[in-house]
Amino acid sequence: MLIFLILMPFLCAFLVFLPIGKKSRLWLLFGVSSIHAVIAGSFWRELPPPEFSAYLTLDPIGLIFLSVISFLFLSVSAYMIGYFDNEKRDGRTLVACLLFLLSTMTLVSVSYHMGLMWVAIETTTLFSAPLISFHRNKQSLEATWKYLLVCSVGIALALLGTFFLAIAAHDSHTLLLPELLAGQGSMTINWLKLSVIFLVVGYGCKMGLAPTHSWKPEAYGQATGMVVVIMAGALTQCAFLALVRVSQICFKTGLYEFYSSILVVTAVLSLIVPAVFMLGERNVKRLFAYSSVEHMGILVLGLSLGSAGIFGSLFHMINNALSKVVMFLTAGSIAQKYGSSRVGDVRGVIRAYPVTGIFLLFALFGGTGMFPFATFHSELMILNSAIMSGRYILFVIAIICLALIFTGLGKVVLEMVYGEPTEPILARKENFMMNAAIAVSACIMIVLGLWMPEPLKKMLQDAVSMIGA
Amino acid sequence: MNGILPVFAHLAIVMALSPFFFGVTARVKAVFAGRVGPPLVQPYFDIVKLFRKKCVYSRTTTWVFRASPVVVLAAVMAFSLTVPFGEIRAPLGFPGDILLAAYLLALARFFMIAAAMDTGSSMEGLGASREAFFSCFSELALFMNFIALASCSGNISLSRMIGEEMPLSGGTLTPALILVVSSFFILLLAENCRIPVDDPDTHLELTMIHEVMVLDHSGIDLAYLLVAQTAKLFVFSAIVVQMIVPGAAGDRAVGIGIYLAGMMFVSILIGVVESCMARLRLDRVKYLLLISFGLAFFGFIVSLWRK
Amino acid sequence: MAIWLDASCILIVFFSLAIISTYRTVGMIRVFALQSFVLSLTPLFMHADALSVRDATLFVGTLALKAVLVPYILTWAIRHVSMRAETKSIIGLGASIMGGTLLIAGAFWVASSLKLPGTQVSDLIIPCSLATVLMGFMIMVTRYRAVTQVLGYLVMENGIFLFALSLFDAMPLLIEMGILLDIFVAVFIMAIVINHINEEFESAPAASSYSKMGESP
Repeated sequence: MLIFLILMPFLCAFLVFLPIGKKSRLWLLFGVSSIHAVIAGSFWRELPPPEFSAYLTLDPIGLIFLSVISFLFLSVSAYMIGYFDNEKRDGRTLVACLLFLLSTMTLVSVSYHMGLMWVAIETTTLFSAPLISFHRNKQSLEATWKYLLVCSVGIALALLGTFFLAIAAHDSHTLLLPELLAGQGSMTINWLKLSVIFLVVGYGCKMGLAPTHSWKPEAYGQATGMVVVIMAGALTQCAFLALVRVSQICFKTGLYEFYSSILVVTAVLSLIVPAVFMLGERNVKRLFAYSSVEHMGILVLGLSLGSAGIFGSLFHMINNALSKVVMFLTAGSIAQKYGSSRVGDVRGVIRAYPVTGIFLLFALFGGTGMFPFATFHSELMILNSAIMSGRYILFVIAIICLALIFTGLGKVVLEMVYGEPTEPILARKENFMMNAAIAVSACIMIVLGLWMPEPLKKMLQDAVSMIGA
Repeated sequence: MNGILPVFAHLAIVMALSPFFFGVTARVKAVFAGRVGPPLVQPYFDIVKLFRKKCVYSRTTTWVFRASPVVVLAAVMAFSLTVPFGEIRAPLGFPGDILLAAYLLALARFFMIAAAMDTGSSMEGLGASREAFFSCFSELALFMNFIALASCSGNISLSRMIGEEMPLSGGTLTPALILVVSSFFILLLAENCRIPVDDPDTHLELTMIHEVMVLDHSGIDLAYLLVAQTAKLFVFSAIVVQMIVPGAAGDRAVGIGIYLAGMMFVSILIGVVESCMARLRLDRVKYLLLISFGLAFFGFIVSLWRK
Repeated sequence: MAIWLDASCILIVFFSLAIISTYRTVGMIRVFALQSFVLSLTPLFMHADALSVRDATLFVGTLALKAVLVPYILTWAIRHVSMRAETKSIIGLGASIMGGTLLIAGAFWVASSLKLPGTQVSDLIIPCSLATVLMGFMIMVTRYRAVTQVLGYLVMENGIFLFALSLFDAMPLLIEMGILLDIFVAVFIMAIVINHINEEFESAPAASSYSKMGESP
């Protein structure tokens, strides 16, 4: 079943290159995403058996992640059907690359071998690069170049980290996760420490954690909204999944203290940097990109705070993805209607497009973790665990940064929503499919913020206990 | 008398053999250029010819100018005493004589520069300033080479660092030795004004370093400088050969044969390098010397690593 | 054969130093090709007494990909995609060389506390690969132009490959991952060629140059 889930999108990606119409390509993407979502949903009832001598295994952590990407692709493919109504381009590369990405990301979530996981993450980088340079202009090429350079350095460092891990685990002669966890006693600590550092730095580049975040504003600013949703919601979280796997190993080898001290440093940086850079920014897409850096920081912060934090972190992974759908799809709608996403060109959205205006408000409150939204809930869990473990300074820094980020984002978004209206370039009606895709995520976010369903809670708890906290 | 005899023997070897290898290098270059070239013994003829000529001194020069050829020759010869030649041990050797060797070279260089400045000619001043600038880097590299060698052999006497007692070739320290040898070869080219650094054949003031400094010397003075130049090249080549084949144990004749073959090889190699390479632009010579330093430093690290 | 293995490790580091101290892009590419050539020989030196098919494929693959194809594409790109020949560095060559030697020292220092468990072919592989990785990183950081940054990445990757060789017998499939990284880089270079990324991207995002950013529909 797992292999089918990986191969189906991969093979369908080749169908895109057949001379079929634009419409049928988009429906193909939608169809594949739906099948993927249905199968992923069916796994919630019972986890599938491991395949390929346990190289491919779906565990609760992987399942949460798999469901997130499946949902993201479903939303994006629905949105695209509406979006391409108003587009002249046929989006062939876009659809093909998205299908390839779906396949490789599925591989990331089910791979149970640190080497295989690295291969999968490497491939996601390769397939995501053409998506950024969708518009062939100078800036988008520059953005692609930056993305490729930073991410490929990250990948190279992660490969080195994987090699170090292989040396540390040289007794077990494999990088299969269960055997790594079983053979914890024989790990060579020095090599393991080095490996952990390299893996955090390497996958951190891919996540866009603070010192290596520089590709994010550019890439997110250039790529279309749909693509950014996939990048911010799924691609970066692939790397986060890798870090979760590393934390699994660290717990078993008693290296968690060391690991968490590295994570805390990067997390704090990832909170401070966007807080500072957001204040002068006028482009809403770039603002959302900085907000994405912040959310990655929060995820990593949760991972470093023990079991309560990890619970919050995994929950935040879901909420982050949902909030990214609302944020970037709305930004994409605005960019399509106004031909710009800068606050000077876009004002008074609520009067011209009431529904989009409301979504923009949702994006603001969901993205910054305000009350009825689920992001509030998960951020609260993480900050709470910081207080519980007695890290008051960390708590204070995080609160200040979150407040600054809210100010930075709020200033621009509120001006966009309520300011003196500017004329949109294309006066169009709101598109049903586009708005439906955003609305579903927004609703789920509000529901999850108020009430957590029992199966989800159980799955999260299973995942936390698997990590070993 | 017993202590003095080896010293004279050593000096005699240097004087007798060094012009020959100088000639070999010149011949190789000629062959590469498609010429027949001067006979191998041409440097001997040059030296003899110069010894029969009278010196001419400019009226602006002082005693420094007159003293410099003597001091340069004396310093180089004294330097040669610290280096063993194959089976023949160095007559002068004590712990720490690497410092003596390095400063003898520095003394020779100082007097060359001082004499060049003493003429008051702007051209010679140019050469002197270049020489002074490059020596900053080449001395750095020289000392790094000595440090690396000392670390390899555990000795701080030049004759022992590269002599029979060095446990280098064939042992675990060979990688370090490769690095030091290549570093020292670059240094050899730089110190003896060979091609990537300086062109010994040219008389264009724009490019030359050493030749421009000896322009005002004539007659016996020039002969002294020529002997010093050939001797310096000989001694540096001897060090390279010594590092690669540190004294063949066994038959004396075989040892001498191997040694002479090594010297021959180094001289030919210098000729080949000179024929194949172009002179570096002056502002890039320092990078070459820095690489030489870097190689020696790397050799030093490897030797520490392998200990 | 141990001596040849040692020598090739040393040579690989030396070539990295040489790339750092080269000022013309074509020269850098040539030195890189030499380095890759030496690198492709190392698996043969490691198993000189009993060569396997895997060694041979590794040799041929590395030689073809790194020592021939990649340098060829890069040279072609410089000739035909109007890239400027000389490189541009934020620090001088002298400082680069000194920095490179310090990185070598650092690599050995780090490696001294990391002993490879079990038997090993040469104790120089790990420090030398670390040094090469570090120097590749330094080239990437100090040089502006796209081609030189790719070269830095390639040097770094050669270091990683050398490291992977030390795990040749211990772990299956790891080196194959390294080769995958090579293919990735090849694609990456294609991207430069195809998209004509010939400008340097040196400046931090100045607000003005991004005024049009995000206008993508």
